Parts: sequence; structure tokens; C-alpha cells
Amino acid sequence: MNWAKVWTPLNLERLLVGDLFTQGHVGGLLLTMEIAAIAIAGATVLGAILGLMRASRSRLVRYPALVYIQVFRSVPLLILVFWAYFVPPYLGLETSKAFSVTVALTFFTAAYIAEYIRGGILSIPHTQREAARTLGLSPLQVQLYIVLPQAFFNMIPAITGRYVVTVMNTSLAFLIGLSELTDIGKQINVRLQTSPVEVYLTLMLIYFVVNRTLSAGMRLLEHRPRFNRLFLRI
Amino acid sequence: MSYHFDWSVLRGEYGLLLLDGLVVTLKLAGLTMLFAFAIGFVVGIVRWTGNKYLEPICGAYIEFARNTPPLVQILFWYFSAIYILPHWMFSYMRDVGFQFAAAVFALTIYHAAFVAESVRAGLNSISSGQAEAARSLGLNFVERMAYVLLPQAVPILVPPLTNEAVSLAKNTSLAMAIGVTEIAYQTKYIDTYTFRGVEVLVASSVLYFCLCVAIEVIGLGIHRLFSRHLDTRSALRTALVSE
Repeated sequence: MNWAKVWTPLNLERLLVGDLFTQGHVGGLLLTMEIAAIAIAGATVLGAILGLMRASRSRLVRYPALVYIQVFRSVPLLILVFWAYFVPPYLGLETSKAFSVTVALTFFTAAYIAEYIRGGILSIPHTQREAARTLGLSPLQVQLYIVLPQAFFNMIPAITGRYVVTVMNTSLAFLIGLSELTDIGKQINVRLQTSPVEVYLTLMLIYFVVNRTLSAGMRLLEHRPRFNRLFLRI
Repeated sequence: MSYHFDWSVLRGEYGLLLLDGLVVTLKLAGLTMLFAFAIGFVVGIVRWTGNKYLEPICGAYIEFARNTPPLVQILFWYFSAIYILPHWMFSYMRDVGFQFAAAVFALTIYHAAFVAESVRAGLNSISSGQAEAARSLGLNFVERMAYVLLPQAVPILVPPLTNEAVSLAKNTSLAMAIGVTEIAYQTKYIDTYTFRGVEVLVASSVLYFCLCVAIEVIGLGIHRLFSRHLDTRSALRTALVSE
């Protein structure tokens, strides 16, 4: 084991911000975090909408969401990334690697979040809706202020797990040649030739720290009384 | 925005390549599933018992395996197996095809951790009175597990384990990173050689879709079989939360 060879300041800098950071190109861990953050935010919004649709009583609303969830949960993310990256050029559209990966990751994750949100919605007692309607809230207000916050709150453990998987899934961008964390790691490995154990353990350690921080943050959020009040109040 | 479809690319040589890929994917998924479930059950039971010496090791393994990307794990084992694994194991993996063996190895390690967490959650969902009663009747550990606890835990575990199996089948596509010739690899290969990316992507998406739906249907069948006498709704709820 020769850690000094891998943990040089230059290598660490490349892992954290990529090769061409000074020239305005984000890479490495920063790019990973960027893709993950956008995908998580987008997937949560899209997943909430789909989850509401999935829990709806009207078939016209429920079935499209059902089909979406079934399709996007049954195709590997890698194939979705291929769709988002290889198909637009055939149609004469321009796309970038980072954009394709983010879009694929968002649509993929949204299907899972929708299932969790639906589970959360189904676990809310019907009296909550009735009480809110009695207090004069419109149906939309009931969904936005009563149903969705509780559904999300009840499902935080499951949703956190999905967020962690989303952060890990950004590594797939490496397969279409985007220079994010995994790709930089592979470049360092290729350059050094002799220390794959150290390089890949370093990579895993970085992902591990990011993911543990994320889940610790979500757990903190979950147990914080102020957070509870924020979410459980109209 | 108009695309001229030419499905003839899927007939003949390239269609056969895709089917070859399907066979490799099935082999990879089947073997990994076998190993991941076996290891996952053992580790999950060890975690549930809370053994003073084994539990921390299993806990650390699960934490690490679940928080690092499967793709990086595949690359790690592919490049570092020769430095880490005992020589007999490495030479055995080399003999059966190193790319394939490394992919099975890495995906097993990744998914066994998820299976173990589900197993532990399933065992925890059984009231402790069951284990205590079995113990007071004089059953030893293996008997308690085999006759009292697992028969109750397994029906609850079927839905989350089905989800895990589906996710495992999808994650086999990551093996293309180290050159295992499964569906995703063949898709990219055919796209590179024919510039017929859309048709090939449609075909491979349909293959994966059918594979995942088949696993889900099998899982649903097993679930029905096991839970004829159970409260299905409570089992489903447990499945949702423990996932």
C-alpha cells in the first residue's frame, strides 16, 4: 500500500473539483454533487406530483402515473442515460453529457419517490382531509398543506434511502465519459497504474462520507421539533 | 424532428448479439441473486442476534456496502481483486472469466447488504414473545430460526426482497463498465457499429422491462402463496416501510 502516491495535493484537488476548474469547467466531486442536488430536487417535485396522481381516485389520473412508475422502475438507469444521451442527436437536438445524466436520473428517481409518497398518502387517516375541508380549505390546499407534507414526513426514512442511492447513481455518468468523481478516479488509476486499491478505496471513502452526511442531515431534520412544526402546520 | 425507423437492424447478426447479451444478463442476475440472498440472510440474522463480536463487523460491512456506488465497487473488485483476494480464489475467478466473476462478486457484496437490512427488519417485526416462547420450550438457535422465526419472517420479506431482486437485475447493466457482454454492452456496441441507436435502445429497454416484470410477477406469486393466512395489508405496510 502506498497511500502517499495517491493522496497528493494535486490528485485530491482533481478529485474534488476536476481537471479544468480554473478554466471554468466543473468536475469531480463538485459536479457529482451538482448533478445529485438537481436530480434530487427535481425528482422530489415530480415524485410528489406523480404520487398524488397515483393515489387519486380517478382512473384517468391514476393510470398515467401507474404506467410511468412501472416503466421507469423496470428499466435500468443506464439504459435511460443512453436514451437521454444517444437519442437526441438522431433527432437533430443538441445535448450535453451532464444534462442528459441529470434528466435521466431525475425521471428515474421520481418513479421511486412517487411510490413512497403514495405509501405515505395512503397512511394518512381520512379524518385529516375531512377536518381540513370542514375548516374551509380548497381541495388543492388540502393536498398541498395537509396531505403532501404528512406523506413526505412519514416517508423520510425511505426517501432518504432513495436520495443516497441517487447520489451513488451519479457515478453512471462515468459510462458516457462525463468527468465526475468516478471518472477522475479512473483517470488517476490509469495514470498511476500500480495502486488501484488505494485509488478506489479513496473514491469509496469520498462517496461514503457524502452519503453519511446526507442521511445524518435527513435524520437530524426528521427529529427536529422545528422541522416537525414547519411540516405539520398549515 | 423526424426519425426514419429501420427495424431490419435487429434481424440477423445484431439481434443475435442482443440475445447473447440477454443470456449473459440472466446468468449474471441469477448467480448474483443466489449469492446475495444467501449471504444477506446470514448477515441479517447475525445482525438481528446482536452477537458481541460478529455484529459490529456485519454492521460496518453493511454501512460501507450500502453507501458506496455499485459501479465503483465493480471497478474496485475488477482492478484490486489480484491484490486483495487469496490466490486460489483469484485464479478460480480468472478461469471462469474474470470480468464476469468480478461483476458477480461486486454486485453480490452490494446487494447482500440491502438483503441483510431487509432480513433484519423482517425479523424485528416479529414480536419478541415468539422467540422467547420458542426458547422456553427448549428449542436451540437453529430450531428457533427454522421452525418459529423464519417461517413468520419470510412471507413478510417477500415484497421487499422482490424489489431488491428487480433492482439487482437492473444493476447488472453496470457490468458493462468492465466489459461483461450483457445487454447494455451489446446495445452500445450495436449503436456504435450501425448508428441505429433508437431501434436498439427500444429493443433492450423492452428486454429489461420484460425481465423486471417477470421477476415482479414471480415475487407476487410467491407472496400470494406464503400469505394466504396472513393479513396482507400489514405485510405490505411492513414491506413499504422497511424498504
